[in-house]
Amino acid sequence: MSELRVASGSTVIRVINVTQRFRVIQERPDTLRELFSKLLRHQSSFHDFEAVKNASFDVPTGQAVAIIGRNGSGKSTLLKLIAGVYQPSSGRVEVKGSIAPLIELGAGFHSELTGRENILLNGLLMGYSKRDMHEREQAIIDFADIGEFIDSPVKQYSSGMYARLAFAVATEVDPQILVVDEILGVGDMGFREKCFDRIRNFREAGKTILLVTHAMSDVEKHCERAILIDHGSIIADGVPREVIATYTNLMSPEVVGAH
Amino acid sequence: MTQLIRDSYRYRELIWALALKELKVRYKRSVLGFMWALLNPAFMMLVLTLVFSTIMRFNIPHYAIFLLSVLLPWTFFSQSLSYGSEAIVSNGDLIKKVAVPKLVFPMAALVSNIINLLLSLIPLALLVPLMRHPFYWTWLYLPVPLLALAIFTLGAIFFFAAANVFYRDVSHILQVLLSAWFYITPIIYPLDAIPAKYQWIFKLNPIIYVINGFRLSVYYGQLPKAPSIIASFVCAFISLLIGFALFKKYQNSFVFYV
Repeated sequence: MSELRVASGSTVIRVINVTQRFRVIQERPDTLRELFSKLLRHQSSFHDFEAVKNASFDVPTGQAVAIIGRNGSGKSTLLKLIAGVYQPSSGRVEVKGSIAPLIELGAGFHSELTGRENILLNGLLMGYSKRDMHEREQAIIDFADIGEFIDSPVKQYSSGMYARLAFAVATEVDPQILVVDEILGVGDMGFREKCFDRIRNFREAGKTILLVTHAMSDVEKHCERAILIDHGSIIADGVPREVIATYTNLMSPEVVGAH
Repeated sequence: MTQLIRDSYRYRELIWALALKELKVRYKRSVLGFMWALLNPAFMMLVLTLVFSTIMRFNIPHYAIFLLSVLLPWTFFSQSLSYGSEAIVSNGDLIKKVAVPKLVFPMAALVSNIINLLLSLIPLALLVPLMRHPFYWTWLYLPVPLLALAIFTLGAIFFFAAANVFYRDVSHILQVLLSAWFYITPIIYPLDAIPAKYQWIFKLNPIIYVINGFRLSVYYGQLPKAPSIIASFVCAFISLLIGFALFKKYQNSFVFYV
């Protein structure tokens, strides 16, 4: 594990011994009949699965942190814990300041509502007021740059347009912490540039960014710290270059084994 | 309970937006749109009035008004529960991705149905003079039973919305329960129609007191007696206490089951 960058400023995210347990049930009794028949036969066909195991780390203000790891390693669970979607099974998560969770593309968009209506709804869901959202509406529309589609139901949007609007809403509300979960893969090159411009602005404004991505070039370019998570445990935490190296070794165990 | 009041106030704009969204989606792609909230009860009244003034005659004058004065609140109650019991399940995608207090969804279900109920009172108010039934000043009393009914309904929504997350049978059981409940509640008949010695059984029905308030003020032009008013609010708050306690206890687990 490489040495940590010295924390600049105060801590905004503190993850303390957090474990997230999921009950994986092979056949969850979805109806009462199944429940009764299971109870009668004294069956319990589940096991506990720890998506995040005893994770601890601090994120100081203004740091851009990438969270990397294989599919199913627990990255998204970790983000959801930080965003407050999950309450940890044990341990504690402390977050200071407003947080804009882009956990998934347009989470909170309703397909029947127009882009404009969704801007308001999405802002309210993130805890902003109607007034906040009306003030920012034009800026969001300008940034998303989807033309007259703004007044069409979002179910008619392409996935790229969806992503643009989602990103515009989440960043225009000016949160202290931005959580980005693999959302940037969808937009075209021009929009990606715009997004990363904005991420740079965020960093310059001293804001904290958590980025989940599989694009290692983005990690090196935009983040000053990377956390590698595998099977729910944090196995590396430090400068991106070194953490990525660890990750690359992890992905090709046969290379390591040949030593 | 303070959590309920605090979060409802803090997220009032979200609750309102979600309620409007529900109505918007309900009436989307219909030419008359929002008008259906008025037309639906109006047509129902038309049918009921025709049926009960020509085909089936009761000894009750202006039977349509007698019926509608409590059928409209009942429809509110049963529709709120049907929609509300799905409030968490149908917003599962949202709950899995955004950290938002779960109680906004049952609250929004309640609010959207209150809007519907208030709209449906308009055609009733038009029907009263049309049938030459007196327009009593006791209409002004309606906000009181409305409040009791809203609290009672909210508690029931919390209860069924939470239970439905874990066992989807709940929404089916609810439908059976509602149709049985409809017939044991004096809606299509007056309470006097029940033999006196069985009336105490019917008085165990927690919704009967609030229903009574609606019928008295709209049809009879009277105010309910104090014990009946107190009983209606006691039932309402018991419902809310039980429903919200259950909801609160399990709300952090919803995200794993939706």
